[in-house]
Amino acid sequence: MNSAFKKIGLVSLAAVSLTLTLAGCSTSNSSNNSTSGNGASGGSAAVAFKGSANETYYMVTFLSGIEYWKGVYAGMQAAAKDLGVKTVYTGASQYDINQEVTTMQQIIAKKPAGILVTSINAKAMTPVINQAIAAGIPVISFDSDAPDSNRYAYLGTSNFEAGQKAADYLGQALNGKGQVAVVTTPGELNLDQRTQGFTSEMKAKYPNVQVVATENGNSDQIKTAQVVSALLQRYPNLSGIFADEADEGTGSATAVKEDNKTGSVKIVSFDTDKSTLDAIQGGTITATIAQGTWNMGFWGLMDAFTIHHDMLHPVANWQTAHVDPVPPSVDTGVTVITKSNVNAYLQQ
Amino acid sequence: MQQQEPETTTLEGGAAAVDQQAERVSFIRRLTRIREFTILMVIVVLIIVLAVLNSTFLSPNNIVSTILSIVMMAIVSVGMTVALVSGGFDLSVGSVMSMSGVVAGSLVLGGMNVWLAVIIGLAASCLSGLITGLFIGKVRINPFIMTLGMQGVIQGVAYVVTQGAPVSVTGVSAGFLYLGQGNLLGIPVLIWILAVIVVVADYLMRRAVVARKVYYIGSNESAAYLSGIRVARAKIWIYIFTAILAGIAGILTLSRFSVASPTAGLGMELQAIAACIIGGASLSGGEGTVFGALLGSVLVGVVDDALVLLNVSVYWQSLVLGCVLIAAVTMDVLTHREKNS
Repeated sequence: MNSAFKKIGLVSLAAVSLTLTLAGCSTSNSSNNSTSGNGASGGSAAVAFKGSANETYYMVTFLSGIEYWKGVYAGMQAAAKDLGVKTVYTGASQYDINQEVTTMQQIIAKKPAGILVTSINAKAMTPVINQAIAAGIPVISFDSDAPDSNRYAYLGTSNFEAGQKAADYLGQALNGKGQVAVVTTPGELNLDQRTQGFTSEMKAKYPNVQVVATENGNSDQIKTAQVVSALLQRYPNLSGIFADEADEGTGSATAVKEDNKTGSVKIVSFDTDKSTLDAIQGGTITATIAQGTWNMGFWGLMDAFTIHHDMLHPVANWQTAHVDPVPPSVDTGVTVITKSNVNAYLQQ
Repeated sequence: MQQQEPETTTLEGGAAAVDQQAERVSFIRRLTRIREFTILMVIVVLIIVLAVLNSTFLSPNNIVSTILSIVMMAIVSVGMTVALVSGGFDLSVGSVMSMSGVVAGSLVLGGMNVWLAVIIGLAASCLSGLITGLFIGKVRINPFIMTLGMQGVIQGVAYVVTQGAPVSVTGVSAGFLYLGQGNLLGIPVLIWILAVIVVVADYLMRRAVVARKVYYIGSNESAAYLSGIRVARAKIWIYIFTAILAGIAGILTLSRFSVASPTAGLGMELQAIAACIIGGASLSGGEGTVFGALLGSVLVGVVDDALVLLNVSVYWQSLVLGCVLIAAVTMDVLTHREKNS
């Protein structure tokens, strides 16, 4: 039932996305004249979806330097371009609770049109998120939620689910039997959740696929190559590896190649940086798990924008009636990327 | 393969013994007098135990993959040895390693000839070593804080160049990829490169006059200065040497993986210092050999490999590795204390 709901959600998201993108494209193509671009999607919407140039939306993250958030921001920028509004990406450069809370407070002081935020820690971020909403700033949560806060919506996928998806792919690719290993970095919560999702799904759905080892790749290619080559000695019949971090994926691919086992050991990696995509195209990595980061940014901004402009009225007075004007929980989905669809991602 | 070299150089020069028995005794005595003897024995015993516990341990495949896994650490350790011998050390080697890889990788992606890009990557490493050396040698800043600062600066350069994303190079010349991925006489080229670096550097450190100056500086810097050694200039060269070796490790990492990650050398500085100390170097300077650093790297590599082969749980691995290293160094220190007294 849950998954049926998700499917419906995704299909409707896709449909809305298509119309909005069409509307967006047509407006931006037609030289800033917002009234002339409404042929495709019916008059009033295209006029309404137009922000002002001094309207600024912030995206706030922790570990702000990492590649992963770039996908989210790309989606946010795409929506901002369509809507004609400004975006700023900022956050805590370290994995530091204090730093992210401080950043949020600084942004609230600037009175932005909206904030998209991913929380380093749900409890720690709740007060500051509520503070922003009390100040009249729409806050949308993405990727890592603060469910007890008053945020309007959460867009994301769970890492657990992403791990399950990897297990489903690998289980099927191995015809439901064989030995597989996991390479991860113990102690990192999101990676631990991927590992748990993977191993529990394997156990439940593919009882003849044995997860023989879980090794520490330390999010480093050299270290990963070392543990994987040792794994290949220990388990000569190993037929699959789930590397739940991108550098661990490329490290595994190199170790497998050095043992002349490319292809006979199927590697499922994580995320979509260029090295992973290149390796999929070159055949050294079989598949990778992509999270719907672009959609988190795009729809996150759409949510914030429509709330800021008070465009949504599911009931007459949603503010006083405590009705959420936007879908409170959106699953942005997980995509398995293989050789057959990797080009679509490489062209981005 | 590299083992013969240092042994013969240290052992030669003994008077020709007439009595065979006496010769054998003095041979053993001289053998145990070699600084690296204890750690070599620790490795040999460990290998024998592991071979009994797990038959795949001594398979040619496993031996090659274990050596392959320590190539980068060992190359960086060779440079680190020289810094340690001089009484300093270099915490920036890990970031220099990632920086040289991403600089070369980014230039290749920009359309530059791969060998030119490699030279620029190495030149950038050189420059980093020059800056470090100038500040430590001429301005006389403490090596700890200077190289820690440079670690941040150079890591920053790697992040700026890549904007945080790994650089993936495709379609580079086969000649470049051969360095990190090819085989020569059935042995990976990377291992040959390591062998050449170790043999040459070990020979220089034992025989060259310049290298003796480094030991002198590390043992007693003011005495070295008073005896006419240009200490500041020597230190500049020492940190350039350390940085170049780290740069080479970065370039070889790029060649091996076809990917240069801005985080590639993270933590490498501590691994390298650990390998050198295990191999007999001292944090207070004046001691240490290249061959010892190689043995230290080998010990770490063997233990790492064994942790996987013996199915040690991933949560226990770090604890076990730490204990083995402390045990090895303790044994080394105790045997030398006995000999000295």
